[in-house]
Amino acid sequence: MWNQVGQALNTSMVRVLSQFASLLPGILALIVALLFSAVIAWIIAALLRRSLASIDFDRRLPQWGFPTIAEWSPSHSPTLLVTRAIVAIVIIIGFLVGVSAFDMSLTSELVLRLFDYLPNLLAALIVLVFGTVIARFVSRSVLIGAVNMNLQYAQLLSAGVKWLVMVLAVAMALEHVGIGGGIIRLAFGILFGGIVLALALAVGLGSKELVTRSLEREATRTAQSTHEPVGHL
Amino acid sequence: MAVDAIAQPELEQIERIGGADLVVGILASDPNCDADAVRGMVRAALGTMSKPVRTVVVCRNGAGGAENPGLPDDSQSPAVSFFKFADPDPAKGPLQTLIDAYQTILTVGGKLGARASGVIASEPRTITAQSAVYRLFQPLLELGFDLVMPRYNRQKTEGLLNRSILSPLSRALYGERLQNPMGPDFGISGKLLQRMAERDDGARRGFQVNPLASIASTAASGGFQACESYLGVRVQAATNWPDLSTLLALVLGPVFLDVERNAALWQRIRGSKPLPWFGNPETESGEAGTVDTQRMLESFHLGTQNLQEVWGNVLPPTTLLELKRLARLPPAQFRMPDDLWASIVYDFVLGHRLRTINRDHLLRSMTPLYLGWIASYAIELETAGQAEVEARMERLAAVFEARKPYLLSRWRWPDRFNP
Repeated sequence: MWNQVGQALNTSMVRVLSQFASLLPGILALIVALLFSAVIAWIIAALLRRSLASIDFDRRLPQWGFPTIAEWSPSHSPTLLVTRAIVAIVIIIGFLVGVSAFDMSLTSELVLRLFDYLPNLLAALIVLVFGTVIARFVSRSVLIGAVNMNLQYAQLLSAGVKWLVMVLAVAMALEHVGIGGGIIRLAFGILFGGIVLALALAVGLGSKELVTRSLEREATRTAQSTHEPVGHL
Repeated sequence: MAVDAIAQPELEQIERIGGADLVVGILASDPNCDADAVRGMVRAALGTMSKPVRTVVVCRNGAGGAENPGLPDDSQSPAVSFFKFADPDPAKGPLQTLIDAYQTILTVGGKLGARASGVIASEPRTITAQSAVYRLFQPLLELGFDLVMPRYNRQKTEGLLNRSILSPLSRALYGERLQNPMGPDFGISGKLLQRMAERDDGARRGFQVNPLASIASTAASGGFQACESYLGVRVQAATNWPDLSTLLALVLGPVFLDVERNAALWQRIRGSKPLPWFGNPETESGEAGTVDTQRMLESFHLGTQNLQEVWGNVLPPTTLLELKRLARLPPAQFRMPDDLWASIVYDFVLGHRLRTINRDHLLRSMTPLYLGWIASYAIELETAGQAEVEARMERLAAVFEARKPYLLSRWRWPDRFNP
């Protein structure tokens, strides 16, 4: 009986070892692919960093209407953010190549799904970028307009409008990516309504006195100013 | 000038008129452009000239205007024709309507090949319209000048945008001391009009072209002879305070655009020269009244509290610090130093050129700063007489000239000075 047990153990050990041995080239291929992609990523990152530095990317980006990207970036450097994103993408591609050495069918399916998802991801990114630009533009318009109308709550109005547009953009982006589904729609409705309600309450109740005084004062002064001897041209 | 400023039927009417020596646009706020009264006024004004002047009067087709168009009424000399153009779309707003009207009048002048063209847009209070026509056009038609700009007898609280920005900026950049570089009344020769039309080609790049903004710079760039004529006191429209930022954007936008267009010219000009003038300066008339500086200071304070981020795009940190310091001063001690004001104006000119932020936002965000300047000016000169005010304005203009190297440096190397 002990002979049979020993034989069974031998057989299973041989099977496991041979399966492990069959995996070794795959593991090696994965390591090589990762190392190779890391080297390529490093070269691309170095070239990209240099070319972005030459066009003064960090300084120009806020001027092109994307100041918030600097806030999200590591060390407040959008160049670093872009290069790190590119490095991550190249390494992920290298990882996929390495994984394909184990099982072709699994990787193909993974890659196919990823590419199916890519247009949605891009659309979401575009919506987010445009949403940020529009939010910034509109909030600045509101801020300047409110200050020029001598409204004390200019900042509050401007921030409220900014967050309204941002929430709308994020909800649209998530819808594109397909994350959340109904929950996102519900959450968006609650958030959007919440912001509007908060603004309405702030203006209608919380800041009622302030707004009333502010508007009354402006109305009185506008009426008085028609008799003021000030001319501009 | 752009021919598309005039509709096709009106162009045909102009062609029927043929030619003219003088085109006078009348844009006074009263739209009742009575043909007979205006004819009489123009004849009386130009009748004293050495040669007969064939004149075309252009005005809006207002409520009272009965006749259009006018072939010359040759029964009396000099011949005066009439051309009335359709009232522009009121939805555009009064300022834009006015700019369009200027464009139309200058286009008529160009189409008729007039020796001189001009506009009377304000209502003179102490001289007659007839004298205003004579003073604006006689130097063009008989003395060989190419540009006649107005000089007004102003109360100290009138013409503040002119005093604070337009006049000192124009003087520092183009070297000619004009009290009102943007009129609104002016006369220009046919040569200068032609030059303006040439320069206008391709100049409309998304921003509304205002012909008034480029008169002084075009005259300076071509070496045209400029002078000024006293037009006495004029009726000032009441300030529309809630819409002040629109006024700033509409007036300063084209001016800053013109500065950008003429960069090669003004970078070569050093100093400034006074211009010959005609007519008599009148003595001060009446009390100026009091200005509500409290509201202006509140607007300035609100701006310094809320617009730091916006101003930070165009103003250097030292200027921002200086503005914060000013905001802490009690009203009686509030003074905006001339150096600071000149730097702010130059920084905004540069910000407009670099498109650091949206141009409309940039110009509108200047409103609290402008109100701060007015408050400082009103507090400082509360009890000052006319001579004192003029001396004060002369000092401000001199500071603009002295600070011109700052603009030059920033213009040439914006990155080096970038805030």
